[in-house]
Amino acid sequence: KLGHPSELPPEPVPNYEADEEFLRRLHHVLLEVEVLEGSLQCPDSGRRFPISKGVPNMLLTEDEA
Amino acid sequence: EAVPPLRPGLGKMSSAEPGRFFCTAGRGLEPFLAREVRARLGATEVDCVSGKVFFRAAAGPGELRKLRSAERLFLLLKKHSPLPVSGNRGKMLHEIKNLVIEEPKYWLDIISVWRRLCGHEGKADDVSQENTLALKRKSEGETNTASKRQKMEQVRAFVSEECQVEAGERCVAPERMSSQECWIESETSSEFPSKGSGENPTANEKLSFSFRVSCRCSGAIAKILTSQEIGRAIGIALVKQCGWRADLRDPDLEIFVHLNDIHSVVGIPLFRLPLANREYIKTAGLRSTVAWAMASLAEISAGALVLDPMCGLGTILLEAAKEWPEACYWGADISDSQLEGADGNIRTAGLMDKIELLKASVKALPLPSESFDSVISDIPFGKKFKIMNDAQLLPDILQEMERVLRVGGTVVLLLSQDLRKLTDGLTKCARSDSPEATADGNSEAAPAKALRVHGNSSSLAHGVGESFLSSRHFGSLVPDGVYAVSLGKTDAFIHKYRKVSAAGNW
Repeated sequence: KLGHPSELPPEPVPNYEADEEFLRRLHHVLLEVEVLEGSLQCPDSGRRFPISKGVPNMLLTEDEA
Repeated sequence: EAVPPLRPGLGKMSSAEPGRFFCTAGRGLEPFLAREVRARLGATEVDCVSGKVFFRAAAGPGELRKLRSAERLFLLLKKHSPLPVSGNRGKMLHEIKNLVIEEPKYWLDIISVWRRLCGHEGKADDVSQENTLALKRKSEGETNTASKRQKMEQVRAFVSEECQVEAGERCVAPERMSSQECWIESETSSEFPSKGSGENPTANEKLSFSFRVSCRCSGAIAKILTSQEIGRAIGIALVKQCGWRADLRDPDLEIFVHLNDIHSVVGIPLFRLPLANREYIKTAGLRSTVAWAMASLAEISAGALVLDPMCGLGTILLEAAKEWPEACYWGADISDSQLEGADGNIRTAGLMDKIELLKASVKALPLPSESFDSVISDIPFGKKFKIMNDAQLLPDILQEMERVLRVGGTVVLLLSQDLRKLTDGLTKCARSDSPEATADGNSEAAPAKALRVHGNSSSLAHGVGESFLSSRHFGSLVPDGVYAVSLGKTDAFIHKYRKVSAAGNW
């Protein structure tokens, strides 16, 4: 979902702990990629929080608060 | 006690040579600084007075530069008891001059020590040699009418008046670093033949050492003499004694003289810019020294999660992340412009992997309960932040802060004088419980009591905390210290709290 579909398999392959290449790519996506523009989605409500210039906007609207 | 001059020409300076220093500090920060010099530099003979901390330490410029709660750092030259005040101005000026006047060799020694400490390595010895010769040439009677007139003009120009009596350092405008020019001068002068005569007085003027006197005087002395007069008298004496050139704008050396009812102090600043000006902060918000002091109270340990829910430009987070990098820092703010400024600061400081930013409201933090070890914040106040004029918002803010904090965690807040005044019980309790309370900014006794790091809350702290928080039920936030600090024009108060469990312990 972060725009690296070609690099990562959709699911972890069996014995992924030993797959150096996979681990390196996973590490990159988890720890080195900074989302500048995009969104965070709440897994419960599905509500999207936009990310702009690397900063997520988590302000709630009047109704939500 | 005069500083014994170190021998020049010692070659490479080892950081093991102890020296006597002092730092200026914003009022209220002296105990923080005293603690810091002991911890960071292994300092001894630490002496705190209002606005200054004196100490002895064997430290190099790299280590000295790391001091975070100091305004400016000086090499201590003289520290004497206060000057006797009489109606006799002439006599007083004479005594003041005696404070500063020494044999030229004393000054050369001092300069070489100072140069080593500033990081001017190498040529110090050659320069000292040449300066000695320059001094001798001057005093051997170069005085013709032209140069006398020049001197008088310089004397009028060089006095820099700093009559700041009240709390807080005025920040000296950053000056161009002229170490390059310094070297050009000394290199040229070393080419001069070291013969006694035949030199050009104009060339001599250009190549001689330049200085400026910064004089501050307050108390009884200020009633008889102005700092301007004193500065001028000292300057004239130095020109006469050492043959230096006075330069107000961009001197090689600044001599700092502070005369008050407590002592007479002479020092040389080690760095041109105040230590409080951080090279890693692009846009300043809260004074960095105060921000650091607040972070130092939060007990940040490795792996801690620290939150500033009203981070503004991120000053507190920057100071904390620089000093305690093994923790994770989160900042939240509702203002786009502040967040952009904070983002810029974080990138400038290279702390992107340590500090996360959120656009969020402190009244509804998108963060799990009991997830943070520390909450540190400068509660915005004053006309600039209209929303905060209503002090009823404070309990809402505290409620969220308390929620996201884990049991045993700390809250460190900076509150204005006004916010404190709005909570009546707060100031009343502070005064009645303890005469050395920080409420009225009396800092003489405060240094002793100020740093209570562990939980034994004094009656002062209890009184303050209970009345402040009793309007809502914040039973789990126990007060653990109040520290008055100066923010320059205003005063503010650092309040520390600890979250306890329902059983009342942590």
